[in-house]
Amino acid sequence: MNQNLNDIQLKVKEALIRASTVFSADKKSVLSRAIETEPSPNVRWVLETILENADTAEKTRRPTCDDTGIPHLFLEVGGQNSVTPDILRQIYQGVAEGMQELPCRPMAVKGSDVQRLEQSMGLFDDPAALVPAPIRIQLVEENVLRLHVLMQGGGPEIRGKTYRVFHQHKMSAILDEIVAWAIEGAGLLGCTPCTPAIGIGRTHYEAAALMLEAMIHGRFDQQNAIEQEITERLNQSNIGPLGLKGQTTALATFLRVGPQRASGVRIVCLRLCCCVEPRVASVLL
Amino acid sequence: MEKINIPIVDNLFPSLVIGTRILLFGKIFTGRDAVLPKLVALIENNKLDETGIDLKGAVIFHTAVSPAGVGPTSSNKYDIESTIPALSKAGVKIHLGKGRLSPETIRTLHEYHSIYAVIPPVTALLESKILERRVAAFPEEGMEAFHQLRVEGFPCIVAAAHGKSLYEEGSESP
Ligand code: SF4
Repeated sequence: MNQNLNDIQLKVKEALIRASTVFSADKKSVLSRAIETEPSPNVRWVLETILENADTAEKTRRPTCDDTGIPHLFLEVGGQNSVTPDILRQIYQGVAEGMQELPCRPMAVKGSDVQRLEQSMGLFDDPAALVPAPIRIQLVEENVLRLHVLMQGGGPEIRGKTYRVFHQHKMSAILDEIVAWAIEGAGLLGCTPCTPAIGIGRTHYEAAALMLEAMIHGRFDQQNAIEQEITERLNQSNIGPLGLKGQTTALATFLRVGPQRASGVRIVCLRLCCCVEPRVASVLL
Repeated sequence: MEKINIPIVDNLFPSLVIGTRILLFGKIFTGRDAVLPKLVALIENNKLDETGIDLKGAVIFHTAVSPAGVGPTSSNKYDIESTIPALSKAGVKIHLGKGRLSPETIRTLHEYHSIYAVIPPVTALLESKILERRVAAFPEEGMEAFHQLRVEGFPCIVAAAHGKSLYEEGSESP
Protein backbone atom coordinates (compact mmCIF):
# COMPACT_ATOMS: atom_id res chain seq x y z
CA MET A 1 0.00 0.00 0.00
CA ASN A 2 1.51 3.37 -0.88
CA GLN A 3 1.69 6.35 1.45
CA ASN A 4 -1.08 8.20 -0.34
CA LEU A 5 -3.60 5.41 0.20
CA ASN A 6 -2.66 5.15 3.89
CA ASP A 7 -3.30 8.87 4.18
CA ILE A 8 -6.77 8.52 2.69
CA GLN A 9 -7.73 5.89 5.24
CA LEU A 10 -6.55 8.07 8.11
CA LYS A 11 -8.25 11.22 6.78
CA VAL A 12 -11.58 9.42 6.33
CA LYS A 13 -11.37 7.92 9.82
CA GLU A 14 -10.74 11.36 11.33
CA ALA A 15 -13.57 12.90 9.28
CA LEU A 16 -16.05 10.32 10.57
CA ILE A 17 -14.97 10.99 14.17
CA ARG A 18 -15.19 14.75 13.62
CA ALA A 19 -18.69 14.47 12.13
CA SER A 20 -19.80 12.48 15.18
CA THR A 21 -18.22 14.67 17.88
CA VAL A 22 -18.05 18.31 16.73
CA PHE A 23 -20.72 20.99 16.27
CA SER A 24 -19.83 23.60 13.63
CA ALA A 25 -19.08 27.16 14.83
CA ASP A 26 -22.15 28.56 13.00
CA LYS A 27 -24.39 25.99 14.71
CA LYS A 28 -22.97 26.89 18.12
CA SER A 29 -23.62 30.60 17.47
CA VAL A 30 -27.21 30.05 16.42
CA LEU A 31 -27.79 27.95 19.56
CA SER A 32 -26.23 30.67 21.73
CA ARG A 33 -28.48 33.30 20.11
CA ALA A 34 -31.55 31.10 20.80
CA ILE A 35 -30.52 30.85 24.47
CA GLU A 36 -30.44 34.65 24.70
CA THR A 37 -33.92 35.06 23.24
CA GLU A 38 -35.91 32.18 24.84
CA PRO A 39 -38.03 33.52 27.73
CA SER A 40 -38.49 30.17 29.53
CA PRO A 41 -35.66 29.16 31.92
CA ASN A 42 -36.38 25.46 31.30
CA VAL A 43 -36.14 25.85 27.54
CA ARG A 44 -32.91 27.83 27.96
CA TRP A 45 -31.60 25.02 30.17
CA VAL A 46 -32.33 22.41 27.47
CA LEU A 47 -30.45 24.47 24.86
CA GLU A 48 -27.54 25.08 27.26
CA THR A 49 -27.34 21.35 27.99
CA ILE A 50 -27.23 20.57 24.25
CA LEU A 51 -24.33 23.04 23.88
CA GLU A 52 -22.54 21.64 26.95
CA ASN A 53 -22.88 18.16 25.44
CA ALA A 54 -21.30 19.39 22.21
CA ASP A 55 -18.34 20.85 24.14
CA THR A 56 -17.88 17.63 26.13
CA ALA A 57 -18.14 15.51 22.96
CA GLU A 58 -15.47 17.57 21.21
CA LYS A 59 -13.11 17.51 24.21
CA THR A 60 -13.50 13.80 24.94
CA ARG A 61 -13.93 12.61 21.30
CA ARG A 62 -17.13 10.83 22.38
CA PRO A 63 -20.27 10.74 20.17
CA THR A 64 -22.77 13.58 20.66
CA CYS A 65 -25.56 10.97 20.59
CA ASP A 66 -25.61 7.22 21.24
CA ASP A 67 -27.52 6.72 17.98
CA THR A 68 -24.32 7.26 16.03
CA GLY A 69 -26.12 6.87 12.70
CA ILE A 70 -25.57 5.26 9.31
CA PRO A 71 -22.55 6.59 7.34
CA HIS A 72 -23.41 8.34 4.06
CA LEU A 73 -20.57 9.26 1.72
CA PHE A 74 -20.51 11.99 -0.92
CA LEU A 75 -17.40 12.22 -3.08
CA GLU A 76 -16.61 15.27 -5.24
CA VAL A 77 -14.13 14.76 -8.09
CA GLY A 78 -12.72 17.47 -10.37
CA GLY A 79 -9.71 18.52 -12.47
CA GLN A 80 -7.09 15.82 -12.99
CA ASN A 81 -8.23 13.68 -10.06
CA SER A 82 -9.54 10.17 -10.54
CA VAL A 83 -11.40 7.63 -8.43
CA THR A 84 -9.91 4.14 -8.51
CA PRO A 85 -11.08 0.92 -6.85
CA ASP A 86 -8.10 1.25 -4.46
CA ILE A 87 -9.20 4.73 -3.40
CA LEU A 88 -12.76 3.50 -2.77
CA ARG A 89 -11.41 0.58 -0.72
CA GLN A 90 -9.36 3.00 1.40
CA ILE A 91 -12.40 5.20 1.93
CA TYR A 92 -14.47 2.24 3.15
CA GLN A 93 -11.58 1.07 5.34
CA GLY A 94 -11.33 4.55 6.88
CA VAL A 95 -15.07 4.52 7.62
CA ALA A 96 -14.77 1.10 9.31
CA GLU A 97 -11.82 2.27 11.43
CA GLY A 98 -13.64 5.45 12.42
CA MET A 99 -16.67 3.47 13.56
CA GLN A 100 -14.46 1.18 15.65
CA GLU A 101 -12.34 3.92 17.17
CA LEU A 102 -15.20 6.27 18.13
CA PRO A 103 -16.84 3.71 18.88
CA CYS A 104 -20.16 3.78 17.03
CA ARG A 105 -23.15 1.85 18.33
CA PRO A 106 -23.05 -1.73 16.96
CA MET A 107 -26.17 -1.62 14.80
CA ALA A 108 -25.60 -3.99 11.85
CA VAL A 109 -28.46 -6.49 11.64
CA LYS A 110 -27.60 -10.18 11.02
CA GLY A 111 -29.23 -12.72 8.72
CA SER A 112 -30.99 -13.28 5.40
CA ASP A 113 -33.35 -10.75 3.80
CA VAL A 114 -36.30 -11.87 5.91
CA GLN A 115 -34.21 -12.29 9.07
CA ARG A 116 -32.81 -8.79 8.67
CA LEU A 117 -36.27 -7.36 8.11
CA GLU A 118 -37.66 -9.13 11.17
CA GLN A 119 -34.42 -8.53 13.12
CA SER A 120 -34.72 -12.10 14.36
CA MET A 121 -31.00 -13.05 14.38
CA GLY A 122 -29.70 -10.17 16.50
CA LEU A 123 -26.91 -7.69 15.78
CA PHE A 124 -23.19 -7.89 15.00
CA ASP A 125 -20.96 -6.85 17.94
CA ASP A 126 -18.53 -5.03 15.65
CA PRO A 127 -19.56 -1.40 14.98
CA ALA A 128 -17.68 -1.66 11.65
CA ALA A 129 -20.07 -4.37 10.41
CA LEU A 130 -22.42 -1.50 9.54
CA VAL A 131 -22.32 -1.05 5.77
CA PRO A 132 -22.38 2.60 4.60
CA ALA A 133 -25.25 3.74 2.35
CA PRO A 134 -24.40 3.73 -1.40
CA ILE A 135 -21.69 6.30 -2.14
CA ARG A 136 -22.53 9.27 -4.38
CA ILE A 137 -19.87 10.62 -6.76
CA GLN A 138 -20.23 14.08 -8.29
CA LEU A 139 -18.15 15.84 -10.94
CA VAL A 140 -17.18 19.37 -9.78
CA GLU A 141 -15.36 22.36 -11.36
CA GLU A 142 -12.64 22.56 -8.68
CA ASN A 143 -9.44 20.52 -8.98
CA VAL A 144 -10.22 18.38 -5.94
CA LEU A 145 -10.98 14.96 -4.57
CA ARG A 146 -13.17 15.85 -1.59
CA LEU A 147 -15.17 13.49 0.61
CA HIS A 148 -18.12 14.48 2.79
CA VAL A 149 -19.06 12.03 5.57
CA LEU A 150 -22.56 12.24 7.05
CA MET A 151 -23.84 10.19 9.99
CA GLN A 152 -27.63 9.85 9.71
CA GLY A 153 -29.58 9.09 12.92
CA GLY A 154 -32.78 7.06 13.14
CA GLY A 155 -35.17 9.70 14.56
CA PRO A 156 -34.92 12.02 11.53
CA GLU A 157 -35.42 9.01 9.23
CA ILE A 158 -38.66 8.11 11.01
CA ARG A 159 -39.95 11.69 10.68
CA GLY A 160 -38.62 12.30 7.15
CA LYS A 161 -40.79 12.21 4.05
CA THR A 162 -40.24 12.06 0.28
CA TYR A 163 -43.40 12.70 -1.68
CA ARG A 164 -44.88 14.59 -4.59
CA VAL A 165 -46.28 18.10 -4.35
CA PHE A 166 -48.58 19.64 -6.98
CA HIS A 167 -47.05 23.10 -7.29
CA GLN A 168 -49.95 24.89 -9.08
CA HIS A 169 -47.27 27.23 -10.47
CA LYS A 170 -46.92 28.84 -7.03
CA MET A 171 -43.92 28.59 -4.71
CA SER A 172 -46.37 29.16 -1.85
CA ALA A 173 -48.14 25.85 -2.61
CA ILE A 174 -44.85 23.96 -2.24
CA LEU A 175 -43.89 25.91 0.88
CA ASP A 176 -47.25 25.33 2.59
CA GLU A 177 -46.90 21.59 2.06
CA ILE A 178 -43.31 21.51 3.37
CA VAL A 179 -44.22 23.54 6.45
CA ALA A 180 -47.21 21.27 7.20
CA TRP A 181 -45.02 18.14 6.97
CA ALA A 182 -42.28 19.78 9.06
CA ILE A 183 -44.63 20.84 11.86
CA GLU A 184 -46.15 17.38 12.04
CA GLY A 185 -42.70 15.74 12.09
CA ALA A 186 -41.14 18.18 14.58
CA GLY A 187 -43.93 17.53 17.08
CA LEU A 188 -43.09 13.82 17.00
CA LEU A 189 -39.30 14.04 16.68
CA GLY A 190 -38.60 14.63 20.38
CA CYS A 191 -34.99 15.73 19.77
CA THR A 192 -35.76 19.31 18.73
CA PRO A 193 -34.60 21.95 17.87
CA CYS A 194 -34.45 20.55 14.37
CA THR A 195 -32.97 21.76 11.10
CA PRO A 196 -35.13 20.81 8.12
CA ALA A 197 -32.98 19.66 5.17
CA ILE A 198 -34.93 19.75 1.92
CA GLY A 199 -34.20 18.60 -1.62
CA ILE A 200 -36.59 19.32 -4.50
CA GLY A 201 -36.03 17.39 -7.73
CA ARG A 202 -37.60 15.32 -10.50
CA THR A 203 -37.46 11.88 -8.92
CA HIS A 204 -37.37 10.44 -5.41
CA TYR A 205 -33.70 9.50 -5.84
CA GLU A 206 -32.77 12.98 -7.03
CA ALA A 207 -34.74 14.72 -4.27
CA ALA A 208 -33.04 12.57 -1.60
CA ALA A 209 -29.61 13.27 -3.13
CA LEU A 210 -30.35 17.02 -3.14
CA MET A 211 -31.46 16.81 0.49
CA LEU A 212 -28.05 15.28 1.37
CA GLU A 213 -26.33 18.11 -0.55
CA ALA A 214 -28.41 20.59 1.46
CA MET A 215 -27.10 18.99 4.67
CA ILE A 216 -23.52 19.21 3.41
CA HIS A 217 -23.54 22.79 2.13
CA GLY A 218 -26.17 24.41 4.40
CA ARG A 219 -24.94 27.16 6.73
CA PHE A 220 -26.73 28.27 9.89
CA ASP A 221 -25.50 31.85 9.32
CA GLN A 222 -26.37 32.06 5.61
CA GLN A 223 -30.09 31.67 4.98
CA ASN A 224 -32.03 32.73 1.89
CA ALA A 225 -35.57 34.14 2.05
CA ILE A 226 -37.28 30.77 1.52
CA GLU A 227 -35.16 29.06 4.17
CA GLN A 228 -35.88 31.89 6.61
CA GLU A 229 -39.61 31.68 5.97
CA ILE A 230 -39.70 27.91 6.66
CA THR A 231 -37.71 28.36 9.89
CA GLU A 232 -39.92 31.24 11.07
CA ARG A 233 -43.14 29.37 10.36
CA LEU A 234 -41.85 26.31 12.23
CA ASN A 235 -40.87 28.49 15.17
CA GLN A 236 -44.41 29.81 15.42
CA SER A 237 -45.63 26.25 16.12
CA ASN A 238 -44.61 26.47 19.82
CA ILE A 239 -43.22 22.90 19.78
CA GLY A 240 -39.87 24.04 21.17
CA PRO A 241 -36.75 22.19 22.32
CA LEU A 242 -37.52 18.57 23.32
CA GLY A 243 -41.18 19.39 22.64
CA LEU A 244 -41.29 21.48 25.85
CA LYS A 245 -42.72 24.48 23.95
CA GLY A 246 -40.95 27.76 23.19
CA GLN A 247 -39.73 29.72 20.20
CA THR A 248 -36.91 27.46 19.04
CA THR A 249 -38.39 24.52 17.14
CA ALA A 250 -35.97 24.96 14.21
CA LEU A 251 -32.49 26.52 14.16
CA ALA A 252 -32.33 27.03 10.39
CA THR A 253 -33.46 25.42 7.12
CA PHE A 254 -31.20 23.95 4.42
CA LEU A 255 -32.80 23.88 0.95
CA ARG A 256 -31.39 22.64 -2.36
CA VAL A 257 -33.44 22.99 -5.56
CA GLY A 258 -32.35 20.84 -8.53
CA PRO A 259 -33.48 20.70 -12.16
CA GLN A 260 -37.26 20.39 -12.48
CA ARG A 261 -39.57 18.26 -14.63
CA ALA A 262 -41.90 19.88 -17.19
CA SER A 263 -44.98 18.92 -15.22
CA GLY A 264 -47.30 19.99 -12.42
CA VAL A 265 -45.40 17.85 -9.93
CA ARG A 266 -42.34 18.48 -7.76
CA ILE A 267 -40.71 15.71 -5.72
CA VAL A 268 -39.82 16.99 -2.27
CA CYS A 269 -37.56 15.19 0.20
CA LEU A 270 -37.73 16.57 3.73
CA ARG A 271 -35.48 15.34 6.53
CA LEU A 272 -35.86 16.95 9.93
CA CYS A 273 -32.28 16.86 11.14
CA CYS A 274 -32.39 16.53 14.93
CA CYS A 275 -30.55 18.62 17.53
CA VAL A 276 -27.20 16.83 17.01
CA GLU A 277 -27.41 17.02 13.20
CA PRO A 278 -26.23 17.64 10.57
CA ARG A 279 -23.35 15.39 11.61
CA VAL A 280 -21.12 16.07 8.65
CA ALA A 281 -17.40 16.54 8.06
CA SER A 282 -15.57 17.24 4.81
CA VAL A 283 -12.02 16.31 3.92
CA LEU A 284 -9.72 16.76 0.93
CA LEU A 285 -8.20 13.38 0.02
CA MET B 1 -31.66 22.28 40.23
CA GLU B 2 -32.92 19.85 42.85
CA LYS B 3 -30.47 17.06 43.76
CA ILE B 4 -32.14 13.69 44.21
CA ASN B 5 -30.65 10.53 45.66
CA ILE B 6 -31.83 7.10 44.56
CA PRO B 7 -33.72 5.14 45.91
CA ILE B 8 -36.33 7.88 46.02
CA VAL B 9 -38.35 8.37 49.16
CA ASP B 10 -42.08 9.15 49.05
CA ASN B 11 -41.91 12.45 50.96
CA LEU B 12 -39.96 13.99 48.07
CA PHE B 13 -42.97 13.82 45.85
CA PRO B 14 -44.92 17.00 46.62
CA SER B 15 -41.93 19.09 45.47
CA LEU B 16 -41.50 17.28 42.16
CA VAL B 17 -43.94 19.26 40.04
CA ILE B 18 -43.81 19.59 36.26
CA GLY B 19 -41.01 21.84 35.10
CA THR B 20 -38.73 21.04 38.07
CA ARG B 21 -35.14 20.48 36.94
CA ILE B 22 -33.41 17.67 38.81
CA LEU B 23 -30.02 16.00 39.07
CA LEU B 24 -30.08 12.27 39.80
CA PHE B 25 -27.44 10.59 41.99
CA GLY B 26 -27.08 6.85 42.65
CA LYS B 27 -28.05 3.65 40.89
CA ILE B 28 -30.49 3.74 38.01
CA PHE B 29 -31.77 0.93 35.82
CA THR B 30 -31.97 1.07 32.04
CA GLY B 31 -34.32 -0.74 29.67
CA ARG B 32 -36.25 -0.22 26.46
CA ASP B 33 -38.52 -2.03 23.98
CA ALA B 34 -36.85 -5.44 24.17
CA VAL B 35 -36.48 -5.87 27.91
CA LEU B 36 -39.18 -3.90 29.74
CA PRO B 37 -42.06 -6.23 28.69
CA LYS B 38 -39.91 -9.16 29.92
CA LEU B 39 -39.43 -7.39 33.26
CA VAL B 40 -43.18 -6.88 33.57
CA ALA B 41 -43.73 -10.59 32.83
CA LEU B 42 -41.37 -11.42 35.73
CA ILE B 43 -43.36 -9.14 38.04
CA GLU B 44 -46.67 -10.68 36.94
CA ASN B 45 -45.31 -14.19 37.54
CA ASN B 46 -43.94 -13.20 41.00
CA LYS B 47 -40.40 -14.00 39.86
CA LEU B 48 -38.75 -10.59 40.23
CA ASP B 49 -37.31 -11.49 43.66
CA GLU B 50 -35.32 -14.34 42.09
CA THR B 51 -33.33 -11.78 40.05
CA GLY B 52 -32.28 -9.71 43.05
CA ILE B 53 -33.70 -6.57 41.40
CA ASP B 54 -35.37 -4.14 43.81
CA LEU B 55 -37.67 -1.63 42.11
CA LYS B 56 -38.77 0.22 45.28
CA GLY B 57 -37.91 3.89 44.80
CA ALA B 58 -36.15 3.05 41.51
CA VAL B 59 -35.46 5.06 38.37
CA ILE B 60 -35.72 3.39 34.94
CA PHE B 61 -34.04 5.18 32.04
CA HIS B 62 -35.39 4.26 28.58
CA THR B 63 -32.10 3.69 26.78
CA ALA B 64 -29.77 1.05 25.36
CA VAL B 65 -26.29 0.80 26.88
CA SER B 66 -23.75 0.44 24.09
CA PRO B 67 -20.06 1.28 23.68
CA ALA B 68 -21.29 4.57 22.16
CA GLY B 69 -22.95 5.48 25.47
CA VAL B 70 -26.54 6.10 26.56
CA GLY B 71 -29.30 8.42 25.39
CA PRO B 72 -33.08 8.51 25.68
CA THR B 73 -35.27 6.62 23.23
CA SER B 74 -38.92 7.63 22.71
CA SER B 75 -40.87 6.58 25.80
CA ASN B 76 -44.15 6.56 23.86
CA LYS B 77 -43.22 3.46 21.84
CA TYR B 78 -45.84 0.81 22.64
CA ASP B 79 -43.46 -1.70 24.26
CA ILE B 80 -42.15 1.00 26.59
CA GLU B 81 -45.19 3.11 27.48
CA SER B 82 -47.36 0.02 28.08
CA THR B 83 -44.96 -1.13 30.84
CA ILE B 84 -45.13 2.14 32.81
CA PRO B 85 -48.27 1.21 34.85
CA ALA B 86 -46.99 -2.20 36.01
CA LEU B 87 -43.51 -0.85 36.77
CA SER B 88 -44.93 2.11 38.70
CA LYS B 89 -47.11 -0.27 40.72
CA ALA B 90 -43.98 -2.35 41.46
CA GLY B 91 -42.28 0.72 42.96
CA VAL B 92 -40.53 2.60 40.13
CA LYS B 93 -40.65 6.30 41.03
CA ILE B 94 -39.12 7.96 37.98
CA HIS B 95 -39.46 6.87 34.37
CA LEU B 96 -36.83 8.69 32.38
CA GLY B 97 -37.00 9.14 28.61
CA LYS B 98 -38.23 11.52 25.96
CA GLY B 99 -41.45 12.38 24.12
CA ARG B 100 -45.09 12.95 24.99
CA LEU B 101 -47.00 10.31 27.00
CA SER B 102 -50.74 9.64 26.67
CA PRO B 103 -53.21 11.23 29.13
CA GLU B 104 -54.06 7.73 30.36
CA THR B 105 -50.41 6.99 31.25
CA ILE B 106 -50.17 10.35 33.01
CA ARG B 107 -53.22 9.47 35.13
CA THR B 108 -51.72 6.06 35.98
CA LEU B 109 -48.42 7.63 37.03
CA HIS B 110 -50.36 9.86 39.42
CA GLU B 111 -52.27 6.91 40.83
CA TYR B 112 -49.03 5.09 41.75
CA HIS B 113 -47.13 8.21 42.92
CA SER B 114 -44.65 8.00 40.08
CA ILE B 115 -43.41 10.67 37.71
CA TYR B 116 -42.02 10.94 34.19
CA ALA B 117 -38.96 13.05 33.47
CA VAL B 118 -37.28 13.84 30.18
CA ILE B 119 -33.55 13.86 29.66
CA PRO B 120 -31.97 15.65 26.70
CA PRO B 121 -30.13 13.45 24.16
CA VAL B 122 -26.71 14.44 25.49
CA THR B 123 -24.69 11.23 25.30
CA ALA B 124 -21.20 12.67 25.76
CA LEU B 125 -22.28 14.65 28.82
CA LEU B 126 -24.07 11.65 30.35
CA GLU B 127 -21.02 9.48 29.70
CA SER B 128 -18.96 11.86 31.86
CA LYS B 129 -21.44 11.27 34.73
CA ILE B 130 -21.53 7.45 34.69
CA LEU B 131 -19.32 5.91 37.38
CA GLU B 132 -20.17 2.20 36.89
CA ARG B 133 -22.27 0.01 34.63
CA ARG B 134 -23.29 -3.66 34.84
CA VAL B 135 -25.89 -5.98 33.36
CA ALA B 136 -28.64 -6.61 35.94
CA ALA B 137 -30.81 -9.06 33.95
CA PHE B 138 -31.47 -10.50 30.48
CA PRO B 139 -27.84 -10.43 29.23
CA GLU B 140 -28.97 -12.15 26.00
CA GLU B 141 -30.43 -8.79 24.90
CA GLY B 142 -26.93 -7.31 24.51
CA MET B 143 -27.04 -3.50 24.52
CA GLU B 144 -30.78 -3.72 25.25
CA ALA B 145 -30.24 -5.84 28.40
CA PHE B 146 -31.53 -4.54 31.75
CA HIS B 147 -28.49 -2.60 33.00
CA GLN B 148 -27.69 -0.83 36.23
CA LEU B 149 -25.66 2.39 36.09
CA ARG B 150 -24.21 4.34 39.00
CA VAL B 151 -24.54 7.98 38.03
CA GLU B 152 -23.49 11.32 39.39
CA GLY B 153 -25.82 14.17 38.47
CA PHE B 154 -27.86 12.99 35.48
CA PRO B 155 -29.76 16.13 34.38
CA CYS B 156 -33.48 15.90 33.65
CA ILE B 157 -36.73 17.81 33.89
CA VAL B 158 -40.06 16.63 35.32
CA ALA B 159 -42.46 16.39 32.38
CA ALA B 160 -45.45 14.58 33.95
CA ALA B 161 -46.40 14.51 37.62
CA HIS B 162 -49.48 14.74 39.85
CA GLY B 163 -51.77 14.20 36.82
CA LYS B 164 -50.29 17.12 34.86
CA SER B 165 -47.93 17.22 31.87
CA LEU B 166 -45.70 19.80 30.25
CA TYR B 167 -47.01 18.67 26.87
CA GLU B 168 -50.66 19.57 27.56
CA GLU B 169 -52.37 22.19 25.44
CA GLY B 170 -52.31 25.47 27.28
CA SER B 171 -49.41 24.57 29.60
CA GLU B 172 -46.34 26.74 29.08
CA SER B 173 -42.84 25.62 29.90
CA PRO B 174 -42.05 27.40 33.20
S1 SF4 C 1 -33.10 11.89 16.91
FE1 SF4 C 1 -30.96 12.59 16.86
S2 SF4 C 1 -30.50 13.26 18.97
FE2 SF4 C 1 -32.37 12.02 19.00
S3 SF4 C 1 -31.68 9.94 19.48
FE3 SF4 C 1 -31.80 10.10 17.22
S4 SF4 C 1 -29.77 10.75 16.54
FE4 SF4 C 1 -29.88 11.12 18.74
